[in-house]
Amino acid sequence: MEQRLANTWRMTVNEKKFIESALESELRIDGRRPFDYRRLTIKFGREDGSSEVQLGQTHVMGFVTSQLVQPYRDRPNEGTLSVFTEFSPMADPSFEAGRPSEYAVELGRIIDRGLRESRAVDTESLCVVAGKWVWSIRIDLHILDNGGNLVDASNVAALAALLTFRRPECTLGGDDRQEVILHPPEVREPLPLIIHHLPIAVTFAFIGDENLVIDPTHHEEAVMGGRMSITLNTNGEVCAFQKPGGQGTMQSVVMQCLRIASVKAGDITSKIKTAVESYNTERALKMVKRHANINAVDVNEPGQKAKQILEGKKIKSEECSVSQSDAMDVEQGRIKKRSDKNQSFTGGPSSWDPYSEGVNTDELKANLASRGEFYDLISSVSLEFLVCYDCSLT
Amino acid sequence: MASKPLPTRSTFIDKPVVPGDVILDLSKLTDQTIKLGGGLQQDHDAITVVKAGILRFSKPNKYWIESSQKRYIPTVGDTVLGIVVDTRADNFFVDIKGPMVAFLPVLAFEGGTRRNIPKFEAGTLIYARVVKANTGMNPELSCMDASGKAAEFGLIKDGYMFESSTGLSRMLLSSPTCPVLEGLGKKLAFEIAVGLNGRVWVNAEHQSTIILVANAIMNSESLTPVQQKIMVERLLDRVN
Repeated sequence: MEQRLANTWRMTVNEKKFIESALESELRIDGRRPFDYRRLTIKFGREDGSSEVQLGQTHVMGFVTSQLVQPYRDRPNEGTLSVFTEFSPMADPSFEAGRPSEYAVELGRIIDRGLRESRAVDTESLCVVAGKWVWSIRIDLHILDNGGNLVDASNVAALAALLTFRRPECTLGGDDRQEVILHPPEVREPLPLIIHHLPIAVTFAFIGDENLVIDPTHHEEAVMGGRMSITLNTNGEVCAFQKPGGQGTMQSVVMQCLRIASVKAGDITSKIKTAVESYNTERALKMVKRHANINAVDVNEPGQKAKQILEGKKIKSEECSVSQSDAMDVEQGRIKKRSDKNQSFTGGPSSWDPYSEGVNTDELKANLASRGEFYDLISSVSLEFLVCYDCSLT
Repeated sequence: MASKPLPTRSTFIDKPVVPGDVILDLSKLTDQTIKLGGGLQQDHDAITVVKAGILRFSKPNKYWIESSQKRYIPTVGDTVLGIVVDTRADNFFVDIKGPMVAFLPVLAFEGGTRRNIPKFEAGTLIYARVVKANTGMNPELSCMDASGKAAEFGLIKDGYMFESSTGLSRMLLSSPTCPVLEGLGKKLAFEIAVGLNGRVWVNAEHQSTIILVANAIMNSESLTPVQQKIMVERLLDRVN
């Protein structure tokens, strides 16, 4: 018991009183006015679909991954989108490792409602084979430091990660044109998601009797009587609304909050867009280098097969977009080689469980058993299988 | 070897040291006693460092390591700002940012008897002195100085308390007065209490002054004295 007393963060009576009394004269402890937002910084990781957002002291990392799964039975031609939150005890001693806290669940739900139920991400474009294969997009939000207002920071992190995420391109092949072929990023440029609009969360805190502040800090959250998170986009459409805490609110106050939130949402949207744009230009510059590297490897490694040099040429041709048909021929050749081994990969689903594995496990075992073939597959540049295998495991 | 004057002091004094550094070789010291403080450890004849920081020496024979951290390791004689967590029959439980809660005996106040035990609700801020800090035991506080006088210790009312690192607290308490406090003190009137556990309390007549002073101190953590001076001047220009 004593150990727990030592490890929890607590607030003094002095701080509580000061925060409340200073707000009476429209002052906040970090020098902001009631309707000022803290400084927002958006950074991106080296991989596509990873973002790091700092909002004052708050630090959140977003990570987006994709996987091929069976769709839900009632929506056979729509992909899925899910949000997971991870509260590390490093961020705040009050977070416990393991079981998600009530706040962790609430945060996930607010983000999920804002993004999914407003149909911000086009899920129909995530369909590969209707009723059989769709892309499942998973957003992981890691709270690295809790400085207050996790909702807004996490929402921005999720959006930034979604905007920079790219899923591998896939085509249908095989004899019956029902087999899914994943193309590795070196061969075909991965595709970005289609995002219709950006729902931005703006949080208000009610402190004292009728003091209202935007973007509360950790200290203000400890004092506040109630909170209100409004998720809306630049068109002024309200996508989600959450008001926890018991404090009652006047209708006029809600309307005032909505007006302020729509202004803030505009600011944040433009910030996200500029950050994503600069990331994309940087990425495009890197791409040129990446392709150059692959060619260099081909030349440098003497033990490589002639086929790989062909591969290199293919990439060049794609890059210059001169003769796409040549590349397609190579692609088709590989598909045929693969198709006889991976026949059951596209086999009809025996059940409609949307969470079943991406790859038939029997098939996988068979493949692993005949290790020789497995390695043969890898060496013959056909990386598709590896990618599938990867997806199903993660 | 014997002809050379034997080193009686470490050559590392006031220099940054890292764990593993040997600061003194006892075999070369002629019957001299030394006292080791936090961050130092004796391995046979060698005094080694176990914590990164700056080696400090005080005459005649005390050595210790100073570093900046967010967690406070209690040391006897430090003045700290603590938050009352719980009240028991004999002790107040006080959070001092340490590895364990500290005990403040209910009688450790000036003229304290069983009849006039002070009433502190949870969350009360108090200024106290560490009197016991043994490993494996809860540290003990006291609101009296060595002669039994209250001497500014005790309950702190109003104002605003914020948390920083132990290094910042030490900088604020150093003499000559650090540039931030000196610069702010020339133009503004405010009260300040600094605990060596990284807690700082500020009070002033106007709330805006408290906010300004608190933020100036928090920002000065990673600044050099010259930068601190410039920052304070800019701040004061903007206010006036």
